[in-house]
Amino acid sequence: MKDIRFEGIGKAFPTRGGGQFVALDDVTLTVAEREFVAVVGPSGSGKTTLMRMAAGLDHPTSGQVAVGGKRVTAPGPDRAVVFQQFALFPWKTVRENIAFGLRCQGAPRAKQDEVVARYLRLMNMEGTEDRYPHQLSGGMQQRVAIARSYAIEPDVLLMDEPFGALDAQTRTVMQEELVRLTRREPRTTLFITHAVEEAVYLSDRVVVLARDPGRLREIVDIRPTRIAEGWDEMAIDAVMDLPSFTHLRTHVWRLLRDQIRPDD
Amino acid sequence: MSAPDLSVQRRADAGAPAPPRAARRLPRFGIGRRTLVGALSLLGLLVLWWVLTTGTGLVAPYRFPSPAEFRGALDQFVTDGYAGGTLWVQAWHSTRLVLMGFAVAVVTGVPLGLLMGVSPRAEALLNPAFLLVRPIPPLAWIPLAIVWLGLGDAAKVLVIWFAAFVPSVINTWTGVRGVDRTLIAAARVHGAGSRRLLTEVIIPGALPMIFTGLRLSLQASWTTLVAAELVGAFFGLGRVLDAAYRDINPAMITVAMVAVGILGAATTRLLGEAERRLIPWRS
Repeated sequence: MKDIRFEGIGKAFPTRGGGQFVALDDVTLTVAEREFVAVVGPSGSGKTTLMRMAAGLDHPTSGQVAVGGKRVTAPGPDRAVVFQQFALFPWKTVRENIAFGLRCQGAPRAKQDEVVARYLRLMNMEGTEDRYPHQLSGGMQQRVAIARSYAIEPDVLLMDEPFGALDAQTRTVMQEELVRLTRREPRTTLFITHAVEEAVYLSDRVVVLARDPGRLREIVDIRPTRIAEGWDEMAIDAVMDLPSFTHLRTHVWRLLRDQIRPDD
Repeated sequence: MSAPDLSVQRRADAGAPAPPRAARRLPRFGIGRRTLVGALSLLGLLVLWWVLTTGTGLVAPYRFPSPAEFRGALDQFVTDGYAGGTLWVQAWHSTRLVLMGFAVAVVTGVPLGLLMGVSPRAEALLNPAFLLVRPIPPLAWIPLAIVWLGLGDAAKVLVIWFAAFVPSVINTWTGVRGVDRTLIAAARVHGAGSRRLLTEVIIPGALPMIFTGLRLSLQASWTTLVAAELVGAFFGLGRVLDAAYRDINPAMITVAMVAVGILGAATTRLLGEAERRLIPWRS
């Protein structure tokens, strides 16, 4: 397992007038091994850019991102990404989608079958292995995408608003399932979202970003409360009724609210 | 959680919810009634043809043949032959040339389109030449092809190649550029190398557009073949058309036209079938 270190990350784009638009300014942040960190922030605070940098899909103009002490320069299977729009291969069945990364690694067929079967079971999706993505609901498609990323046992999981395209009920079910999965197989996870409750419920720490320019606002520690009150053993609605949860959620929400402008 | 059975649903977009029942029932209007309506309209057309040429004599036989004359010409073509061969010989001659020219165009055009789509360098190198050649109508190549290769089959294949090449290249190229960037990113973050990226992501992603190009190429193949045979040939349906025109034989002209139409439709149908089999995730 590896950690993710963002060291003095800056990202600037030249603007038409010859000036500069600063998307991210001096963000320093570490996601420890096996830690689940959620990043929230208003739109334009650069949270997705941060994730894409860790994936190697985008590059900082200053500072550097290191995963497991090694500087990130290009995408690699040690950093699997779950995308908001699922990004399943429409021409591959559920089985082929989940096994994709393993095939890239040259894993033997038996190992592929075993891993696929295991995740189908974990995701309550047995019997769907020969379907194509368009034959699945949105929630099931995202389960497949999550399984595809978990299947290669990446050192780091990067999730870019993975539940953003799902309806409210499916979203809640998926949040519970992700908690179940991450507590069973903890991985270093960077989870991008704009949903405050989701961030507080899922993570060890919540990173709040500010915008114009995108920068670190505050880091809220959730883990001690979660462990002390045993959130992981409770249903999601029960957790969300707890005073401690409400308190943390409101705290994060206030950090975001003073940044929201009327045009949002 | 069990998924709804979507086996009846066609072409749903990824992530789209299943259409409500009422919407699903619509295409059911389909098959049985549709063929019936189609058969009726065809029958109506035949009756109209008979009425105009035979029943009322509004259209003179030297302008357009009556059904009986058409039948007579067809019989003559099938049994005795016309312009150097029977219907089957002439039809096969033309079809074979179309398939050869089309195959050469696809085998060269699709890889070139792929190359231009994935490599900006190849695109920069080839695009200017392509833009220059592209506006030349395929038929304008016929004289040059005859000068180079004479009136035989080789000239026909060359002209079909020129005509069918462009749609194959352009649509493949467009298809490659239209492949969802997120899918490419997803493949890379899960460890795909460039070879696997090409064969398992870019080509399948571009396949629907590639087939659009192939359909256009096939149409262009038939058009140019007939034109080339009209200009000068020893065999083929275009040659039949030319001979019938010289003999002022409208019945034989229409027989040859219908033959070309049927062959064009049949080959397009075959291509559609290949597409359906190669793109199972869409149906």
